[in-house]
Amino acid sequence: MTIEIQEQRRTGAEQVRVRVVDSDVHPTPRRGELAPYIPEPYRTLIAQRNQMAGNSVYYDAPDYNHAYAMRTDSFPDDGNFAGSDPALTFRQLILEAGSDIAILGPLNGGGQTDEETHALCVATNLWQDHHWLDGENNWHQRYRGSICVAIETPDEAAREIERWAGHPYMSQILINAEPRPSWGHPRYDPIWAAATRHDIPVACHLGRGQHNELPMSPVGFMTYNHDLMVTYSMLAANQVMSLVFDGVFDRFPTLRIVLIEHAFNWILPLMWRMDAVYAARGPENGLRRKPSEYVKDHIWFTTQPLDYPENKLELTNALEWMEADKLLLFSSDYPHWTFDDPQWVAKHMPERWREKIMFENAIELFHLPATVPALAGQKRPF
Amino acid sequence: MTTPSGPLVDASVQIFFRSDADLRTYLREPFRSRGYPHVDVAWFAPPGPRYLPGTSGADGAHPGSDPAAVGRAVVEERGFDVAVLHPMTAASILPDWHLATAILAATNEMLVERWLDDGPYAAHFRGTIRVNPRDIDGALREIERWKDHPRVVQIGLPMQTEVPYGRPQFKPLWRAASEAGLPVAVHIEMGVGITHPPTPSGITRTYSHLFAYQPMTFVWHLLNMIAEGVFHEFPDLKVVWTDGAADMLTPFIWRMDTFGRPHLEQTPWAPDIPSSYLPGHVWFVNALIDGPGDAPFADEWLRMTGKEDMLLFGSSYPAWHTAGPDDLPAAWTAEQRAKVLGGNAAELYGITAAAGAATA
Amino acid sequence: MRERETVRAPLARGREHVVATVDEIPPGQSKVVPIGRYGVGVYNVNGRFYAIANYCPHEGGPLCRGRTHGQTVVDPERPGGAAEAREGEFIYCPWHQWGFELATGTTAVKPEWSIRTYPVRVDGDNVIVTA
Repeated sequence: MTIEIQEQRRTGAEQVRVRVVDSDVHPTPRRGELAPYIPEPYRTLIAQRNQMAGNSVYYDAPDYNHAYAMRTDSFPDDGNFAGSDPALTFRQLILEAGSDIAILGPLNGGGQTDEETHALCVATNLWQDHHWLDGENNWHQRYRGSICVAIETPDEAAREIERWAGHPYMSQILINAEPRPSWGHPRYDPIWAAATRHDIPVACHLGRGQHNELPMSPVGFMTYNHDLMVTYSMLAANQVMSLVFDGVFDRFPTLRIVLIEHAFNWILPLMWRMDAVYAARGPENGLRRKPSEYVKDHIWFTTQPLDYPENKLELTNALEWMEADKLLLFSSDYPHWTFDDPQWVAKHMPERWREKIMFENAIELFHLPATVPALAGQKRPF
Repeated sequence: MTTPSGPLVDASVQIFFRSDADLRTYLREPFRSRGYPHVDVAWFAPPGPRYLPGTSGADGAHPGSDPAAVGRAVVEERGFDVAVLHPMTAASILPDWHLATAILAATNEMLVERWLDDGPYAAHFRGTIRVNPRDIDGALREIERWKDHPRVVQIGLPMQTEVPYGRPQFKPLWRAASEAGLPVAVHIEMGVGITHPPTPSGITRTYSHLFAYQPMTFVWHLLNMIAEGVFHEFPDLKVVWTDGAADMLTPFIWRMDTFGRPHLEQTPWAPDIPSSYLPGHVWFVNALIDGPGDAPFADEWLRMTGKEDMLLFGSSYPAWHTAGPDDLPAAWTAEQRAKVLGGNAAELYGITAAAGAATA
Repeated sequence: MRERETVRAPLARGREHVVATVDEIPPGQSKVVPIGRYGVGVYNVNGRFYAIANYCPHEGGPLCRGRTHGQTVVDPERPGGAAEAREGEFIYCPWHQWGFELATGTTAVKPEWSIRTYPVRVDGDNVIVTA
């Protein structure tokens, strides 16, 4: 049944209500697929560097030499990497797991210079347009893409946003959090200006840099993937504090930020902490509102990875106390090894907020349709 | 206000030399002629007062440098039976670790001589012996020198290090502290020195951001110590995070546990689920901006992750952010207040009501 | 209910099934057979057979598509201080790498997180699973 659908690659007239928006899905280029879109001289430079270049991993995920930090069942048969086949992603994520709309966030890496990073973003956006969002690969209309921009080159980034704004399947802007300084610095204002001009949310997915932008903690480098990835949220926490205390949301009152895969339970005590220092230090920061209000109105967090305590009631309480319906967007992180299944996540969300978190918040945030063409045999997770 | 039946303990009172000149009288050459920062520097100073008004000495002595004045304030006016003193320094982040060790040793001498062995409030004070994590041999000598003093209750380390405390080079410190039966207190060092930037993104743009963020640095140290098996190898080790931010422990240990199962294969020296290493090993001072404020569920939050057994009220007197018992969440139960206002500290530091009530 | 790759024509449950000959599953190998909704993985660990449900209790991943290997233990004699013990005795889920002991269906860290196991016996050349 599913094979027939894929071969036909046509949708019928029937529409189905969107019940799951997956705000973190990773497409990756097949071998050689990205290079043609990289402008010179970077295309040649990168190709030369890649000659005889082996893996550069450190802080390896469990069983790395076998799993490569992926679900080991997500590799296509053609020898390319997990997430490189739009049809396999469609089958495993859309049909079998039941995500209705997938927001694609490519992670094609950075460059050694800011200009290289920008060039890679330019290429990644073109590649998405041709290989994932086009009429053939997106025949089912379930994929949305990200306008990747280099935070290090704010003016170029703003131009790239202008270039892709209005594309029917580009739903967000995608930046990194690792470069310094933090997002509150006024040098980044052109990016927020372009984003808000077109009412496009700015999302950030974690990705590693080098040296002090790995990220490095204030007390040096962590030892394992375990302590690195768990403490990674401290970078996101710092970006949240910078956005708030450096007045970004006062300068750009319609800006919306999405923090992808940074976990989210930490925002609850961080909101208290920010509110407390705001109360203790008075007006010296010039904020118009309480920090927690800025967070609830401007910042979103994806649910994956969903961490939870021994006692599930504590998670439920935390969700209530943080007003999670104002903060959360479901995500799976397909095809990474830390994938969260949509049905499993839905079960853990308070029932009265389940629909908001699984799809309503995302439909509103990303301006998505409420219905999509129906797919026979697709799992309905809840 | 409910008062606990045991001693009321202020687990964090900051004490100082009267002046830099005063510090130098405790140093011998060649260190006496060296240059090093003052505890109070312009870099990221708070806009506004650094200390509570009226805490400077009449002769211009630094706030928190007069044992009699501090005793009056903390014991008489604020009503605490015992105060755990943290000598504040700008030394353990100095590049010349020899100089740092000399300054810390001088500080310990001053602490014992002026605060623990002399003065009308000595029986109400307990002390922190400061050691230099960049000079392990020197630190072990200093621990050996002071560990048996009856009013020394803990070893003090700086929050700012070049590598996190889980790394193997610090093991001799944990061994010595465990064998001495002394907790290790970690506190943000003052002044300036060779520290990494205080956030992963570099410096902050505002003081408020830095002030709220920096105490959370314990997360990196603690999670690294857990993954490196420090608490597995040293079952008697106790660590006190003196700048607070205990609230962040709950979400981060949830994450550490959730991510723990698959990563056990990489860290067989820490074979148990991470949260199991918290009880009996980890404490926090409760500071001014900690906690959920007036939230009705503050008591429930405190129960989560066992925080109600980990918190030690600390005023940070005489800093601008000095806290008092009135700042504690109203929704805490009487039993929780009693634990935080003295019960937990009494147990951790071996403070008994009799010792606290005695006057010199 | 999961819709992932389910078995199209499952064998009836609650009775014995001859799932393979002994030669078909040499030590270190496994075979997934169509019993139950998601299938059952039959493993030969050093000559002993075990059977587990092809379903991870964490988030429902296809457990038997994962790799079997041993468990890391501390070994101060080895450079790096670690060694692998009990090779092949554990199955690791291909999604989140949760490891489960094939013999018991569980792990020391969290015994309450366990996988479903089935009795296996050998009769002559036949490997027989009761599921």
